[in-house]
Amino acid sequence: MSRITAIASNTLLELVRQKVFYFMLLFAAIAIGVAFVASGMPFAEQFQVLKDAALGATSIFSFLLVTLATAMILPKEIEDRTLYTVLAKPVSRLEYLLGKLLGVYLLLFVAMLLMSVLFFVALFAREQLVIAATLKDYGPGPDGEAAVAAVKAAAFNWNLVPAILIIFTKSAVCAALTLMLSSFATSWIFTVMISVVIYIIGHVQPIAREAWLAQSGVNPSSVMKLFLGFTSLVFPDFQLFNIVDEIVVGNAVPGWMFGQVFALGLGYVFIYTLVGYIFFSNREL
Amino acid sequence: MSEPAISIQHVTKVFPIPFKRERVVAVDDLSLTVEPGQVYGLLGPNGSGKSTTMKIVLGLVTPTAGKTEIFGCDSTRVASREQVGFLPENPYFYKFLTGFETLQFFGKLCGLRAKKRDERARELLALVGLEGAADRRIGGYSKGMLQRIGLAQALVQEPRLLVLDEPTAGVDPAGSREIRDLILGFKARGITVLLCSHLLEQVQEICDRVGILHRGKLISEGRLTDLISIENQTELILENASPELLAEIAATTAASGARLVGQRKPQQNLERYFLDVTGGNQ
Repeated sequence: MSRITAIASNTLLELVRQKVFYFMLLFAAIAIGVAFVASGMPFAEQFQVLKDAALGATSIFSFLLVTLATAMILPKEIEDRTLYTVLAKPVSRLEYLLGKLLGVYLLLFVAMLLMSVLFFVALFAREQLVIAATLKDYGPGPDGEAAVAAVKAAAFNWNLVPAILIIFTKSAVCAALTLMLSSFATSWIFTVMISVVIYIIGHVQPIAREAWLAQSGVNPSSVMKLFLGFTSLVFPDFQLFNIVDEIVVGNAVPGWMFGQVFALGLGYVFIYTLVGYIFFSNREL
Repeated sequence: MSEPAISIQHVTKVFPIPFKRERVVAVDDLSLTVEPGQVYGLLGPNGSGKSTTMKIVLGLVTPTAGKTEIFGCDSTRVASREQVGFLPENPYFYKFLTGFETLQFFGKLCGLRAKKRDERARELLALVGLEGAADRRIGGYSKGMLQRIGLAQALVQEPRLLVLDEPTAGVDPAGSREIRDLILGFKARGITVLLCSHLLEQVQEICDRVGILHRGKLISEGRLTDLISIENQTELILENASPELLAEIAATTAASGARLVGQRKPQQNLERYFLDVTGGNQ
């Protein structure tokens, strides 16, 4: 375990010293810009637009961050020959792979923590401005208190926290998928391209499957069932992670649904890591 | 009887060429043994299979056939690497780490505890003469400094076997001399060294035994002194010998039926001269 944590902390340190967190400035600009642009809307819409934009940006930034960071790990280490010095120590290839993946997850955790803090600060600042304006309109009294309560209810709800965790899980699946691809790919550009394609297929294939099944109007044959099962396994069903959209619009999402999505994400991470290890352990260095 | 430090038994490595039916035989039925405490030189022209052999010994490449062991442990097992330190050719380390952090990192990989790791890192930086550069990032190190930090990381877990691939490649004569002296120091401490080098003069100076690879095959192997001695010749080096004495020796030689092959002033080598004039010996 100490070897895995040593490789993980080294990976995190490498990415941090490469100044990958500069993209946070862009995220902050988006959060502030959206809050400013939405200021003319009614307060409920303001908060919804802000949440929508911030969570959307969090999802895209975290996907880009983990995909680019993970895709470069193995090809760069092989090209720089740093891999040889590490694997010449008593480190197994599984420990190496898990250490690298854990390092990317640590990076993702820090990045998402920073983005969440920025998001909540922007949301809180907007909420305070709207409350101040509401109190000015209604003045002190029961009407004012009711209006402030309505503003607070529209601004923040606790479901935002699991929504952020779902985005983390989705990005974690993308990182494991990218690491699996880079375990046999020879170029990081190929890995990034295939990861993006699978990301898109992952969003589209459940819709296509539903449409095809509805159109055919018949029970699929066992061969077709096998094919659909295989494609579901290879291409993660990212539509399931879209319950974040439900949270943004304020719909209640039951706890079991969160649990199901986390379990599914964990399953994908396990399968991709296992397949990646099988490829990597047989790879000639 | 102690187990050999390295035992290579009938090892063959074949690399298939993708999308072709051809294949490259990098190592062809290689068998050799390195005894504990020896400095073994593995020689050969480019493409002779030296690096592949080293990678097989280190478990980085799986042989197509045959078996390698390090102190009796199968080298495909991770545990075999607990006894080995490796310095690759043109070593590259994480450029974002300092020299001290690099040794700390490799110490962690070898399971050293924090206090021991700290002590070991400082001790090794002193050994390779990099105390002054301990807090500088590796990205700013010169070629010679990289080789020295490479040697230090290879020694971090106090291994019984060192595998060194071109340890002085690209290093200036003074740095090369220092590295050679370090290797001789390891030998004195009983550490086994497997050395791969193109610098034959250096190999001759420090190796006990050599093996020569050519197109993946071991074409010659043995004790260095046995391999390069000219059995029917004897060298005499005299100091302050008068011309009369030299003439007398030549006459006696001729009278005995032997032949005087040559008579010349011994020369110091260019490296020693270079070190003398540049002060590298001080």
